[in-house]
Amino acid sequence: MSSAARLVDLQDRIRRIERPNALRHGVLPFGVAALDRALPEGGLALGALHEIHGQGADEEDGATGAGFAAGIVGRIANGLVLWCLKRGDLYGPGLAAHGLDPARIALVRAARDEDILWTLEEALRSPDIAAVVGEIGRLPMVAGRRLQLAAERSGITALVLQRWRTGAEAAAERARPSAAVTRWRVAPLPSLPDGEPGIGLPRWRVELLRCRGGEPAAWDVEAADASGLVHLSAELADRPAAPRRFAAERELWRAAG
Amino acid sequence: MTKENLDEAPFATVIASAGRQLLAAVNPAAAAKGIAPGLPLADALSFLPGLATHPAELAEDAAALRRLAEWSGRYSPWTAPDQPSSGDHGIKIEITGSAHLWGGEVALAADLSRRLARQGIGHRLAIADTLGAAWAVARYASGRATGNPISGKFAVETANLIVPIGEARDAIAPLPVAALRLDPTLVQGLHRVGLRHIGDIIAMPRDALARRFGADVARRLDQALGDLPEPLSPLGEVPTRRVRLSFAEPIADPADLARAAERLTQDLVARLAREGMGARRLDLGFHRVDSRVEHIRIGTARPSRDPVHLARLMIGKLDTVDPGLGIEDAILAAFAVEPLASEQFETPLPRQHPHPSPQAGKGIGGHEHSRRAPFPARGGGSGWGPGLAPLFDRIGTKLGLDAPARLEPRESHIPERASAAVPISNHHFSEKPPRPPMKGEGGVRGADVGERHPHPPIAGAMGPSLSHDAGEGLTPTKPPRPVRLFAPPEPVEAFWVLPDDPPFHFTWRRRLHRVAQADGPERIAEEWWHPDGQLANRNGDPGAIRDYYRVEDETGRRFWLFRAGLPGDPPPRWFIHGVFA
Repeated sequence: MSSAARLVDLQDRIRRIERPNALRHGVLPFGVAALDRALPEGGLALGALHEIHGQGADEEDGATGAGFAAGIVGRIANGLVLWCLKRGDLYGPGLAAHGLDPARIALVRAARDEDILWTLEEALRSPDIAAVVGEIGRLPMVAGRRLQLAAERSGITALVLQRWRTGAEAAAERARPSAAVTRWRVAPLPSLPDGEPGIGLPRWRVELLRCRGGEPAAWDVEAADASGLVHLSAELADRPAAPRRFAAERELWRAAG
Repeated sequence: MTKENLDEAPFATVIASAGRQLLAAVNPAAAAKGIAPGLPLADALSFLPGLATHPAELAEDAAALRRLAEWSGRYSPWTAPDQPSSGDHGIKIEITGSAHLWGGEVALAADLSRRLARQGIGHRLAIADTLGAAWAVARYASGRATGNPISGKFAVETANLIVPIGEARDAIAPLPVAALRLDPTLVQGLHRVGLRHIGDIIAMPRDALARRFGADVARRLDQALGDLPEPLSPLGEVPTRRVRLSFAEPIADPADLARAAERLTQDLVARLAREGMGARRLDLGFHRVDSRVEHIRIGTARPSRDPVHLARLMIGKLDTVDPGLGIEDAILAAFAVEPLASEQFETPLPRQHPHPSPQAGKGIGGHEHSRRAPFPARGGGSGWGPGLAPLFDRIGTKLGLDAPARLEPRESHIPERASAAVPISNHHFSEKPPRPPMKGEGGVRGADVGERHPHPPIAGAMGPSLSHDAGEGLTPTKPPRPVRLFAPPEPVEAFWVLPDDPPFHFTWRRRLHRVAQADGPERIAEEWWHPDGQLANRNGDPGAIRDYYRVEDETGRRFWLFRAGLPGDPPPRWFIHGVFA
């Protein structure tokens, strides 16, 4: 064994000692080198718990978070995606545009956070489930640990979408420690012009707030497409400084017929 | 059939022909005095000064005859009015294969005769092997000669003449040659050489007959004898499957009509199921006592034999049916019958028992239903495996049976209908939605073809960006859809410059959003073929049209707004229907 190989092997063993169970189910790369570099093993840990937070009123609606989650779980094969929520506002055709086939979703509606957490845990112990997504207001430390353990045991990936919070409560939630392997915050960004009038490519600000074995980082990406993949957003040099007025664009639509 | 047997007095209708007044039709009393159609009115009045006359209403007569032929559809789908230019009108009914449904030819004839007499329609009715023989016997045979006069007790003249199978030749032989449906000049030609009865020419070689008297004589004779086929052109399209329901007492109550529709649908569906077929068009005919028929016509663009769905479609249109004095028969006919695999429709199973099953594998998707895969597998590795059943049993027990659901794509361009959360507990018997007519499939075809309420050809979507089914099948040109959809849409306070513009800002949940970019409009109109009819847009505005805009505010949040109603309608109302990721 060469010294280089020995070094890699040793690093590997140290990593395994440090995080005995977190990464044994492999990772799901984002396919974007900048993101994957920030994550241990070059991707999102499978069979683990991840938190997705939002920003401002969009967190209340859970829209960007749902798109981001759809792009992730849509790429995890071998079973259903159990999506547990309080409000029945999840819209299949929209999820499909971010890479999650609605036919794979088992929707569970529950009235309380505790019921949602219970459902997630049950699903994490069930066969034929690829991933679970839960939309909750608060994730207590103990509940997070239970989910993380169940995910580690079964290899099923769990995403917790933080929703229905505002202001100070949300900030406190983002600051609290967590049993999750990663904590993300996603927020909408103004779209980039794509050469057509109207709304261009939808974009997100994706922040890795915390990551076991990784460093916080942030990226501007184009929203996950129908394959579930995000792309680094290329700021175009000729982007207008101020948002365009739609009135001018109406003329363009008319000119375009 | 002789018209106008109003009373005992001689009566005739008159038409003007080449400057002369001719009799068009006469009643039996006039005929008994030797008055016949075609006689000049002046001559008739000289024979019979008391003859009452009325101008003939030929168009009305033809329409009435046609209605009567349609009503006769209760006996067979093969019916047609018979209106030769020479007069002597009648109805043709092909009863081959349907007489047994009435208990035989005699019973059928009696039933038809009774109903006609009840309406005061004098008639002579004959059944024979061929149309030509029946025609001849009905008009020229005496009641006693060849058949059994069944009804003599009615005030109107009736006679039922039934020629036994294989005896057409003997039945028509003694009849005059005019019974062969010949032009009067041909009849005269035959008379001149002493050929007065059909029996006189029946044995003659056909080519000689044709040479001497014209091809028509030979043709009509062969048709009457069955040597030459004479197909009956039915009034309408002949259905491939028909079921009939007769009522002892005429019905008129809408609830009774609805029950009749359900009964008939079940009968028809049972038959279609046995044959592995589904129907795409149905015609429910209500036969009124006054010999009119009220139709309900429905269509599905995909073959169906779902009794609940089909009956609901028909019942939804019952208000177009005028029962008149009552309905004595209902006939459901299926057109456009196509093969339909059995798994596309299952007879509803009893609902899952609400308490949990003791054994895993016995619940939803357990071996109780192992005939079919409990969950349809879609795509590789993303299937609804049988191992899921215990999980959904547990969830259903704790959170309610309706808590676990599937997001089922529906073929609808109405956003809230394009995706439906179907409880997994009754997933097996989820009803297939009607598929709307697809692009390029004409508006009326495959949907409502009812003649009473022709729908305006509103395309499903007709905005600048055409959208079609928002359900399955992503196409690159499809406008984006939000990840969150609000049901119902929430009203917003919007400000706009021009009525057909998107707003430049709007207030939603007490927050002001300034619109930086906008796409649209995408016009989504009511699905008029849908049984539920209209868009429910919370403001009691049926038949609404929505113009959808995707707008982005200054922070980059993207919303789905729509304006209810047409731009010109005051006042425009704005709603938010969803949020994009």
